[in-house]
Amino acid sequence: MTANVLEVRELNKSFDGIVVAREINLTLQSGRVVGLIGPNGAGKTSLFNLITGVVKPDSGTVLLEGAPLDRLAFPQRVRRGLSRTWQHIRLFPSLSVLDNLLIGTHDYPGERLLNVLFRHAHLAEHDKAARERASDLLARMGLGHVAGALVADLPYGQQKLVGVARALMGKAKCLLLDEPMAGVEGQSYAAMQRIVREVADRGVAVCVVEHNVAFIRDLCDEGVFMFAGAIMARGTVADLTRDPQLTELYFGH
Amino acid sequence: MLDATIILQILWSSLAISCYYVLFAVAFALVLKVTRLFNFAQAAIMTIAFYTAFVAVQWLEWPAWVAFLLMMAASLAASYVLERLGFEALRRRGVSVMFVFVFTFMVSEFVAYVAMLVFGTWPQTIFPAMFWPVTLVGNIAVSAWDLPAIGVTIAALAALSAFMRFTGAGQFMVAVADNPALAELYGINKRQTFLLAMMIAGALVGLGMFLYGTRAQVLPQTGISLMLFAVAATIIGGIGSLAGAAVAAVILGIIQNASVLVISSEWQGFLLYVFLFAAIVLFPKGLRLPRRRFGTASHRVTRGTAAPAAESKAA
Amino acid sequence: MEYLYGIIIIVGLYVILATSFNLIIGYGGLFSIAHPVFFALGAYASALLARELDVPMPLAMLAGALVAVVASVALALPSLRVSGDYLLIASIGFQLGMLEVIKNLRFTGGPGGLTNIPPFLIREFGRESYVLLVLFLAVAVTLLVRWIARSDYGRAMSAMRDDELAFASLGRDAMRMKIVIFGLGSGLAGLAGALYAHYFRFIAPEQFEILQSAAILTMVVVGGLRTTWGPVVGALLLQALPQMLTFLNLPPSVLGPIQGMLFTGLVLVFMFFRPQGLLPAEDVWHGREGLGGTRRN
Repeated sequence: MTANVLEVRELNKSFDGIVVAREINLTLQSGRVVGLIGPNGAGKTSLFNLITGVVKPDSGTVLLEGAPLDRLAFPQRVRRGLSRTWQHIRLFPSLSVLDNLLIGTHDYPGERLLNVLFRHAHLAEHDKAARERASDLLARMGLGHVAGALVADLPYGQQKLVGVARALMGKAKCLLLDEPMAGVEGQSYAAMQRIVREVADRGVAVCVVEHNVAFIRDLCDEGVFMFAGAIMARGTVADLTRDPQLTELYFGH
Repeated sequence: MLDATIILQILWSSLAISCYYVLFAVAFALVLKVTRLFNFAQAAIMTIAFYTAFVAVQWLEWPAWVAFLLMMAASLAASYVLERLGFEALRRRGVSVMFVFVFTFMVSEFVAYVAMLVFGTWPQTIFPAMFWPVTLVGNIAVSAWDLPAIGVTIAALAALSAFMRFTGAGQFMVAVADNPALAELYGINKRQTFLLAMMIAGALVGLGMFLYGTRAQVLPQTGISLMLFAVAATIIGGIGSLAGAAVAAVILGIIQNASVLVISSEWQGFLLYVFLFAAIVLFPKGLRLPRRRFGTASHRVTRGTAAPAAESKAA
Repeated sequence: MEYLYGIIIIVGLYVILATSFNLIIGYGGLFSIAHPVFFALGAYASALLARELDVPMPLAMLAGALVAVVASVALALPSLRVSGDYLLIASIGFQLGMLEVIKNLRFTGGPGGLTNIPPFLIREFGRESYVLLVLFLAVAVTLLVRWIARSDYGRAMSAMRDDELAFASLGRDAMRMKIVIFGLGSGLAGLAGALYAHYFRFIAPEQFEILQSAAILTMVVVGGLRTTWGPVVGALLLQALPQMLTFLNLPPSVLGPIQGMLFTGLVLVFMFFRPQGLLPAEDVWHGREGLGGTRRN
């Protein structure tokens, strides 16, 4: 059963005359992983920024489970179930790995100022549950042993995993991953692949921006090719990578 | 009653007075454009420039042209010291932009307190008498101060404009303002360019303070008010646009001066803060959209918000 | 004795001011210099309510704090909407503009100040009671800010300061958090103002000038940003210094500027040579043991 989770309709955006999104139409379905491919500057990250509301589009609509998101700010969209990671990870350096994940829960009752002053018993329960969920997620990624470490002390690949784990702490219905594999090797690579698949199998719609063609081929059910802010083609990853015209666009610039 | 003569008279005096506002605003906007710093220490430079001339004329009884040269030298020297010993060190340490703001503001306050200690809290002027002979043009009184002040201001702005358009150093300044990283890649010496921008701003401030000190009274805290006026004009003029800042300064100057017609004079000073708030609340991005892309806008926002632009460019 | 009580109360109030300012500038990462204005608003609002409308004093004091909260939110909302830089500029304008308003209005007593403010507690229970009240509140505010900084809320503040965009990408509203921090910190300053008004019974605009901005900023920067005891040490130290200056019997026209030079000069020196302050804070967030405390291995 695949349902449309995210629908992007006729999204347009330009900065000072440079078009970063041209008539973008894109649908992401529950349980499917879509790879966003294209050369640097094709507008892939910009598309993520437009979908999440980090950048306001000039025109067009974004729907999550049929409900328009256009009037919502970035954090509110995230709370609706639109989760994303960053190309440059953006972990919180002053917090431990576990605390980074705890910030990832959209709502943490213990963080409300009134609750800080007047603590209730149920807060401790919530706290415990959140910690367990975070520890569980870390363990599944093979990071159980670094929960207490500072993020800056982790190797790059593990930091990328923490970034994904943090984005998964909320109740994501749609997950946008921005270059999760760049700089990731070995065990972290395998863990990342496994986790993304697991997330999709739970019914989350996943979209991945990635330059690592092997990763895209192994993982994605479908590929979307972007060039100069426009979607040029959509199809199986094998078809897209075989297409001589797209290959020309990808490597020709 | 309000008749045409009164209105014209007020318009003319406001226009003349806005000379120094324009110079201060352009100086502030220039430093912001090139170095991307809100240089609140501009008030310190104003204070130093004014009291240098004051001492030269009133204490040492030196001729006016010597006092003028001295105050320009003091203004340039203060700018040089501020850039070389202050900003460069802070830039090297990579402190946040806010840190520099607070630093510059404290410099201005420190200098104001020193001035208070040395010169007291009485209003002063550069020359003992501030009487300027008046000629009637039509029915409008034009003082002997007005025309030279306007002339000098226009000349200074024309020189700055020509410098930025036609000389290599001026072009470098524009390039650094647009994209410091790229400019550095092309081998432009950022350090020299920043210093140059600070020195030019220092010269404009020195000149502006000479005009101010020959027309109005100065207190140790006056520099800070004058600077806030420049800040408001810079924001309203659209950050990064020198012409915008200049035009905004003239308009604000006229509004403030003409306000005597509608509000009592003790609230006139308060108008400055109204401008500042109006600038921030109503025109945070300036009145007109800038024609040219300027890097300042994206850089000016906090670290967090600046990043999406950077990331979108990286994609 | 009365002189000593006065000093203790002043020090206590400055501990509240410096600690609440530390919440804003240190933990919230919000740059503003308008803290003395919220101090003033609390003082004037409480004094006027008690003097003109006979509002019971504890109520008037709370109202004073509330006025400071409302004013601070009104200042922060429009400027933070644009960027943090604008908050600083707006705060300078707010500080100077508000004093201008107080000077020009009639019912505030104008530049001459507001006299005959009704005293609180002193007549009934003696000056000692007021000293105890202020000391109690100073300790309470210090512990409150420490408690907040080490709570789950403190963890979120830490994350927001680290990376606002990442914070937003986890469904968190950084703007709301900043407004809450600014409002709370300013409200505490308003409370300090109310406490000041009903003890010294005279307030004038000149007591809330930029000199005070510099003084409070100096206390936090010199003591140590984002530490519990930094602002306390700063407040003690920087109240002691001017007190010693008063023993020199300098005329007020010299004393004022010298104090100003001292405060601004100290900020400059510390910003340059010891930005971490006397008591440096750690770069890592620490929760309370057993509650938030995921400690570093």
